[in-house]
Amino acid sequence: MPLEAFAESRALTLGLELELQIVNTHDFDLTHGAQDLLRLVGKRKLPGEVKPEMTGSMIELSTGVCRDYAEARSHLAELRDVLVTCANKLNIGLSGGGTHPFQDWSQRRIYDTPRFHMLSELYGYLSKQFTIFGQHVHIGCAGPDAALVLLHGLSRFIPHFIALSASSPFVQGIDTGFHSARLNSVFAFPLSGRAPFTLTWEEFSRYFDKMARTGVVQSMKDFYWDIRPKPEFGTIEVRVLDTPLTIEKAAALAAYIQCVARWLSFEQPFRPVEDDYLVYTFNRFQACRFGFDGTFVDPQTGEHRTIREDIAETLAEIEQHAIELGAEDACRRVRDDIGALGNDATWIRQTYERENLLPEVVRQQCLRWSR
Amino acid sequence: MTGDPRSDLFFLPAWPPSADAVLWVSLTLVIAALLGEFVYRWLRLPRVVGYAAVGTIVSALDIGLTGPGLKPGLRSIVDLALALLLFELGSRINLRWLRTNPWLLATSLAEALLTFIAVHLALSALGTDPRTATAIAAIAIGTSPAVVMRVAAEFDASGQVTERMIVLTGLNTFYAVLASKFVFGWLHAEYVGSLVRAFAHPLYLLAGSAIVAGLLAFTVSLIARRLDLRNENSTLLLLGMILLALSITKMANLSTLLVPLLAGVMLRNSTERPWIWPRHFGTAGGALVLMLFVITGSVWSVDTLVAGAALGAVAIVARAAAKLVATTLLAAPSGISMRQGLALGITLAPMSGAAIVMMTELQNLYPEFASHLTAAVFSAIAFLELVGPIAVHLALRWVNEENIR
Repeated sequence: MPLEAFAESRALTLGLELELQIVNTHDFDLTHGAQDLLRLVGKRKLPGEVKPEMTGSMIELSTGVCRDYAEARSHLAELRDVLVTCANKLNIGLSGGGTHPFQDWSQRRIYDTPRFHMLSELYGYLSKQFTIFGQHVHIGCAGPDAALVLLHGLSRFIPHFIALSASSPFVQGIDTGFHSARLNSVFAFPLSGRAPFTLTWEEFSRYFDKMARTGVVQSMKDFYWDIRPKPEFGTIEVRVLDTPLTIEKAAALAAYIQCVARWLSFEQPFRPVEDDYLVYTFNRFQACRFGFDGTFVDPQTGEHRTIREDIAETLAEIEQHAIELGAEDACRRVRDDIGALGNDATWIRQTYERENLLPEVVRQQCLRWSR
Repeated sequence: MTGDPRSDLFFLPAWPPSADAVLWVSLTLVIAALLGEFVYRWLRLPRVVGYAAVGTIVSALDIGLTGPGLKPGLRSIVDLALALLLFELGSRINLRWLRTNPWLLATSLAEALLTFIAVHLALSALGTDPRTATAIAAIAIGTSPAVVMRVAAEFDASGQVTERMIVLTGLNTFYAVLASKFVFGWLHAEYVGSLVRAFAHPLYLLAGSAIVAGLLAFTVSLIARRLDLRNENSTLLLLGMILLALSITKMANLSTLLVPLLAGVMLRNSTERPWIWPRHFGTAGGALVLMLFVITGSVWSVDTLVAGAALGAVAIVARAAAKLVATTLLAAPSGISMRQGLALGITLAPMSGAAIVMMTELQNLYPEFASHLTAAVFSAIAFLELVGPIAVHLALRWVNEENIR
């Protein structure tokens, strides 16, 4: 299948997709409630969509195209309220978080659609282990070449996005020591990683044709890159975030990405070069493992600082853009997080230390999500 | 040397060998466990069918150990095993769900009411006298908590039908106990001519059971704060406490069915914090449950079966139809598909230990009146003892809710 044409979209508009955990309300383990939930939700009118995901304990909600932080928040709130009402009717809970702290991946069931069964056949146990929950943020782009330039520009900030959204410290009942253990599952897939360094759509199409000709890839959907172009929507999709525990944080992080994108598009503070990717995997690992305390190596200067410091510097640079986009509240949230609050992974760890019972932690996650 | 009048071989055992209770009990355990495994491995059916089959065979062979009714010694085992299962059942009932989904509550009331009416009408149409029909209809409201919990556990069932099956069973067992006590109260009034007695007994039962249940729930929650309930030692403690509560219940003449059920419900709904129970109270619980099914499989005799088969069959059919109609009609408003509604109705079919206990209590109070019921009720139970678990298993498999295949 040839690469589709890059659709037209309004530059710097936002779209969010969130994957949620479906849990039972006895011991708060994952349960296969997606089909029942979709049946109830299908009867309602929504500003966006609710879809199934790979396993029956996951559900994905997506907003429509949003102009700004406020609109994203309002779409999310409406979707969340409908989902929570339907979930209450079924005695199941919904929660954010990049991983479920104690689920046993072998217990999961593949959702019954041809695509998911095909993926399950192809990827074996990885598809059940892929019961991880992420947030995808779409940013509208002025054109295909601008999209690629933005993609490579945003790659420098991937550690920010990971550290800010990290919410998966526990896997199979154990504290992994990571802030985001979810991304370790993503990296297991063969087509994960980053997009090839091409700055024009024509060059990218040639790369895509080569991959398609080898039969390794059928469509853009087969790439599991951290940031991926989505020609169908005319956007680039940042896929690296864990699902946050609240919709407020989800909207705030999307707005942060939007502000950084605006700064990069308007002011072009750096020109992306291939050598920027030399420090990419190191920075990404540091973010997954240490969160805000991780080391950030500046690709241009080689300077070392903490991710926290780099976010603070970035916040200063995008201040004006935040005002223009109406995202000051979002940036204030980000500033609070890198200050005293910490990210969701920190909250999860603190809650576990207090309660000493992982099901109770999940219950409180459900409460935070539903408010 | 001299003076010992015994023969030289006095140490040899007597002939013929005399068997004691331990021999029979151990034999039962071994055979039941083996039959249970056989049924599970080769027939892909729940193990409890095997356990009940052992009891059924023992009755069919008319060995003289059993008969229509529970002997007092066996009653204690039944009570304790049922208490464990009812406690677990109660702790899976989220009362708040009944509030957020009122149609579920409506389903529960509808199926209970329809069952009562249908069974009463069907039996009356066959010429049964109204008092007998009412008593049987009251007992028929309940679904066996033992069968439902065991089959769900054996196949690790989870999903909407499983959850609703558990809630509806808990509720209809509660209704059945209350209804049967009201019927007995009415009988009191009739026999003795006192209206006070009609209501005093059921009220005493409800209030007293609630108090003992509350005490049990409170004590367990106190312990849970200090000890981790998941380890083996705490399991034994919990078992002991339930047994203690049961003996107080019997001393106070309260309902051995309501106390553990209400205790479980109170514990669950007293706090938002999740309760993580040990799975079926470990090995001790497992042995008790096996004995429960063997015993309940054997509380019939060929005579009662012959006498009551027709009425029993009618009662079973009317009851099953009523429950199916209620769950299917209210499936859509309560948020499940038609298929799930049908499956749910089927899972409410079993009748076993709890019904036997209710019958036994009636027999103790009014042996003469109870003898009218015995044939029909015990025949129905004998049949459903084997068919009930199979129905639950097939229904759950039909809606894909079993996690062990």
